[in-house]
Amino acid sequence: MNMNDIFKKLFKPIRAKEELKNQTIAFLAQRTQGYTTTTVKPHRYPLYATVCICFLFMLFGGHWLYFTPTAEITIDINPSIEMSINRFDQVIDLNDFNVDGQKLADSLNIKYMNYADAVEQVLNNDTITALLSNNEVMTITVTGADGQQSAKILSGVEACAEERRNTYCFYASSEEVADAHRIGLSYGKYRAFLELQLLDPNITPEAVQEMTMREIRDLIGHLSTDSENNSSLYDNRQNGHHGYGGGHGRGWRNRRTEQQNAGE
Amino acid sequence: MRSEQETIRAIERYSDTVQRLCMVHLKNDADTEDIFQTVFLKYVLSSVSFENDEHEKAWFIRVTINACKDLLKSFFRSHTVSLDNVMEQSAELPPDYRDVWEAVFSLPQKYRDVVYLHYFEDYTAPQISRILGKNVNTIYTLLTRSKQMLKEKLGGAYEYE
Repeated sequence: MNMNDIFKKLFKPIRAKEELKNQTIAFLAQRTQGYTTTTVKPHRYPLYATVCICFLFMLFGGHWLYFTPTAEITIDINPSIEMSINRFDQVIDLNDFNVDGQKLADSLNIKYMNYADAVEQVLNNDTITALLSNNEVMTITVTGADGQQSAKILSGVEACAEERRNTYCFYASSEEVADAHRIGLSYGKYRAFLELQLLDPNITPEAVQEMTMREIRDLIGHLSTDSENNSSLYDNRQNGHHGYGGGHGRGWRNRRTEQQNAGE
Repeated sequence: MRSEQETIRAIERYSDTVQRLCMVHLKNDADTEDIFQTVFLKYVLSSVSFENDEHEKAWFIRVTINACKDLLKSFFRSHTVSLDNVMEQSAELPPDYRDVWEAVFSLPQKYRDVVYLHYFEDYTAPQISRILGKNVNTIYTLLTRSKQMLKEKLGGAYEYE
């Protein structure tokens, strides 16, 4: 069999439908305004689609940039709350770690506020001022992968806390904070929990969760047999406002102090 | 710009050719409609004066193939095109024809164009080279390879020359 003949038999029956021809005729009449104009507007939908894609890209990109937390500020006194901070230094989320924290979080209006203003508002909150004046201990922990931003936030937070008694500021790595969250504690309490666990291995995170920082510190002080070797935060407060240390030596300031000591 | 009468005459004369080329390029109905609009709008707006009917037909073939290629490359085209559609159509054919149909549509696109133009439209390699804007030796190579591929698929029961 000849291939030319076969092709003729195969393709000859393929015909354009009348409906398609009529649609094309109608389309041409419409696009040329009855064959009167040669300036035919090109299809706009690729342009519109491109604009839409760019818009969506900017929208989602902007959303991602704004709503991705780059640092966290954890405030512990019992209540315990945690603020998520974006790259623009604004509070984008507020989490609580216990019932008291939830009450405090509900009373605050700090979302989308600059972190320094937010911390100021927390420190000026009636519940917090009442607790601090009652000799409670407050820790503020800054966490973040971006060292520069975290250092800036820590120094901003330190400035806010400067005038407050019993207030201590720390820097912590994201891994440490993740460990704390894994057992349901805010970072400040987690540090105190680790310290307490060294003295009392039977202590559980659940027991610590509802205790105030003061209660934990008192318990540490009580359990500690050698007060001079007790490197608890509570004892450090005697040295001033910013007892960056605790027993674990992993605070931002501790690192700096260690580096200075090594240099000396 | 061409008149409405000229355009309707061209649609009547070349729409089957455009339809077959769309089929060769695996278009679905929506894409075929797009190709029809693109090709005939280009014709309406074109100021090319054709020397004869063959020249005009060659122009339609070239413009249709280019439009099909552009659409295949386009991000916005329908993605419902499937080889299955074409293969389904072969079900009604006698077995010998069905084998040829399936063998042709299993060829890569660049071979399918030349095979169709050569066997159905009866164009020679130099004519195909002018229509597709390719070197004539390239067309000879494409034709030789496509015949070899068809032979491999279909065996020696057919005359390929």
